Amino acid sequence: MNTVQSLPLLQNALTVGAILFSLGLVGILTRRNLIVMFLAAEMMLQGISVSLVAWSRFHGDWGGHVLVIFVLTVAACEAAVALVFVLQAFSRTGRLDAAAWQSLREATITRTVDQEVPSIDTVPYRFPTLTPAGVLPPPDDNEPFERRHV
Amino acid sequence: MQEFSLSTLLVLVPLLPLLGAIFTVLLGRTLGAKAHLPAMLGIAGAAVVAITLLAATARDVGPARGDHAEPVRPVEMISTLWQWASFESAYTPPAGSPAADPRLTPADLVAGKDVRAFSIPVALRLDPLTATMLTIITCVGLLVAIYSTGYMHGDPGYPRFFALVAMFVFSMSMLVAASNFLLVYVFWEAVGACSYLLIGFWFTKPQAARAAKKAFLVNRVGDFGLAIAVFLLWMTYGTLDFHDTISADGVIMPGILGQTRLADAAGYVGGAIGTAICLLLLLAACGKSAQLPLHVWLPDAMEGPTPASALIHAATMVTAGIYLITRSAPLFAACPGALTLVSIIGATTALVAALIGTVQNDLKRVLAYSTISQLGYMFASLGTGTLLGFTAAIFHLLTHACFKALLFLGAGSVMHSMGGVIDMRRFGGLRRVMPITAATFLVGASALAGVAPFAGFFSKDEILAALHSKAWPEPHGGHHASIPSAALPPSLPPTFQGAASHFHASSFSPTASAPDGSMAPESTSSLNALDSLNRPETWQVLFWMSLVTAGLTAFYTFRAVFMTFTGPTRVPDGAHGHGHDGHESYESPSAMTLPLMILAVPSAMIGWLLFSTNWLAHFLSATPSLTATSVAATATPHVFHINLAIQGTLAAAIGIVVAAIGHLGRRSDGPQLERFLGPVQTLFANTFYFDQIYAALVVRPLEGLALVAALFDRYVIDGAVDAIAAAPLALGGIVRRSQSGLLQRYALAGVMGVLAIVVLLAWQLRG
Repeated sequence: MNTVQSLPLLQNALTVGAILFSLGLVGILTRRNLIVMFLAAEMMLQGISVSLVAWSRFHGDWGGHVLVIFVLTVAACEAAVALVFVLQAFSRTGRLDAAAWQSLREATITRTVDQEVPSIDTVPYRFPTLTPAGVLPPPDDNEPFERRHV
Repeated sequence: MQEFSLSTLLVLVPLLPLLGAIFTVLLGRTLGAKAHLPAMLGIAGAAVVAITLLAATARDVGPARGDHAEPVRPVEMISTLWQWASFESAYTPPAGSPAADPRLTPADLVAGKDVRAFSIPVALRLDPLTATMLTIITCVGLLVAIYSTGYMHGDPGYPRFFALVAMFVFSMSMLVAASNFLLVYVFWEAVGACSYLLIGFWFTKPQAARAAKKAFLVNRVGDFGLAIAVFLLWMTYGTLDFHDTISADGVIMPGILGQTRLADAAGYVGGAIGTAICLLLLLAACGKSAQLPLHVWLPDAMEGPTPASALIHAATMVTAGIYLITRSAPLFAACPGALTLVSIIGATTALVAALIGTVQNDLKRVLAYSTISQLGYMFASLGTGTLLGFTAAIFHLLTHACFKALLFLGAGSVMHSMGGVIDMRRFGGLRRVMPITAATFLVGASALAGVAPFAGFFSKDEILAALHSKAWPEPHGGHHASIPSAALPPSLPPTFQGAASHFHASSFSPTASAPDGSMAPESTSSLNALDSLNRPETWQVLFWMSLVTAGLTAFYTFRAVFMTFTGPTRVPDGAHGHGHDGHESYESPSAMTLPLMILAVPSAMIGWLLFSTNWLAHFLSATPSLTATSVAATATPHVFHINLAIQGTLAAAIGIVVAAIGHLGRRSDGPQLERFLGPVQTLFANTFYFDQIYAALVVRPLEGLALVAALFDRYVIDGAVDAIAAAPLALGGIVRRSQSGLLQRYALAGVMGVLAIVVLLAWQLRG
């Protein structure tokens, strides 16, 4: 590299990297789907990679770039291994829910179950019906095309 | 033949039973049925040595002289084994106490000129009183040990019994041979402990365990008195030794009963401190010798095995109180009020116990109350304060040991044959099936009742004579030629100025008896009241009480004899019978009847022997304690009081006749006495409600206090400890809730930690 990059560029790049990293962190902590958790972990790695590239360009050093190549390689291997784990976990419980595995808890703690979401399939309210009065008007063929009321 | 010095022999007397006890403990299980051997050999050896010592001491005392031309020389031999406690420069006796050096002024004492050492030597003494007591203890102990091989045969605790008996003989021998008040206290407690272990021998039986606890606790009250008395003696006299000791720089330290102090007419403190010491010693003696009000343990102590009762509660342990008061005779002689109280307690106990004993149906209970009553007689005799009184008490102690042990062993023989039944209403007419027991029991009963010429007659006669001489004092001009009255310092109370024509009770003031007046404060009203009891009228009342008690003694003794051995022969089920020559014989094995026959001989003869030769009185008067001026001055010539003999025999005869009317022959199972007495019988049968009063006054409050203490311990102290233990558990319970097993929560915890570290670093880098 021949020139040192400017500071604002570094700061912006670091910000992007930090955002990626924190989004990935939050994703791991929050999402329960094992594949999405792994995706978030990969995003953390990418955030770190961005930061590494930014520092490397700032200092004009190729070291950061090289390390990023390593990180990408390791991330790929790790993806393979992790997906094997996910598949095994799925084949045991049939669920991709991280909260399905709680057997390492203390003996006095009860299993954490999801809060019951009240279903929206309530019994439809039976509105009162009036007995029809009068005579029905004759059916109009144009009615579906010219609707007069909503 | 090696030369055994007297001090070696003296050490052997307690040592051999101690070795017997130790070997019984170590080898008891392996010896099995022969577990009695170490203890019996130890006690037998001690008995032989004790008789040898008695002979040696008798030879030292010399033969009895007919007149009292010269005072009897005190005979004692001290053998110091080692110094148990020794502290140099321990204390300075306060100014004015008898222990203080009279040549030093108070300023010298404050400046620290008179600094003494505190030392307790383990010293044994041999004098006539000790020799007599040792002989009694070891010989009765030996006979009891022989008896127990038959009585305790087959009992699973057979080795334990003999270990305890040997341990008891050791403790009692040391008690009477110790030459230091602290050692006496130690062995006082030791005999109490042995008594507890023997009463509670069959501890799985709740009554036995309770009786043992009661005996020990009641004795403890007396021990408290003895402890305080030891403290007061230390403070007053500066030493606890009986004998004089010579310190390193050649200064003689006079012992409390040492010959230096005994020869000094003003050697003993009277007044308040002296009376306090004497009353506390009396409390200790009441506890150990079962006198009012601490007599409640002895009847319950019959729960123990009968040989133990014979040894401890008839012949030896209960005589420790008598021994203590006799040994402290000069101390008591300086406080006449205390002496009178001794007699009052003794005579009252004798009467009350005799009344209670008349309605008992349990043969051992009758004998227990009889023991209390006879000990009361001895106390009454001791309280007269005269040489006759002291020697009569020891004489009665000796004869009582013989016949009471005989009676108890006979009762044990009956109980053993009847299969554990001792209620006299359930058996009768046993003289046909247990002839040896019946004959020896009759001899013992006659001795107890005071039938001439058996042993009890003479000793009881002496006691009555001692009481009579105090109740009706006559002018004895020529009897006290040994100590001319002019030579007695006026500081001694007039009782002991032998030639006093009439008893001047009103002119007696306690402060006059205190040597310097510095240790004794002004006489208090209670002291005056105590001393005002010392009047001939009091002694007359005590004399008549004793005479009535003699009649009652004969009554209940022969009631027991008639109910048990006369009348139609009835034997309860479960009795051990063996068929011999045609009819059943329930006689006990020879191991049990042999001691009975051996004891019957002195019960019959020893009274006449010792009285006619006056040997015992002369022998005992050479005891250092009894050669004190105040005691020896009251010596009277040896006379057989025919009028007292007649009165005593009349009382005994009336008692025997009434017993015969009520219980002889066909009426031997009868409740005649109960019907005759009516409501008074309930009072006697409930032991004058002493147990109930003590339960209400002492036992219930203490149980309440114990309950409060137990609740405090369980809820407050244990609660505090449990609360401290519960705190980490609670903390852990709170923290445990974070271990949910949920992966993302664990990850969150990690992230929080990282955040904390980042914030910390940023803050430090910034600041």
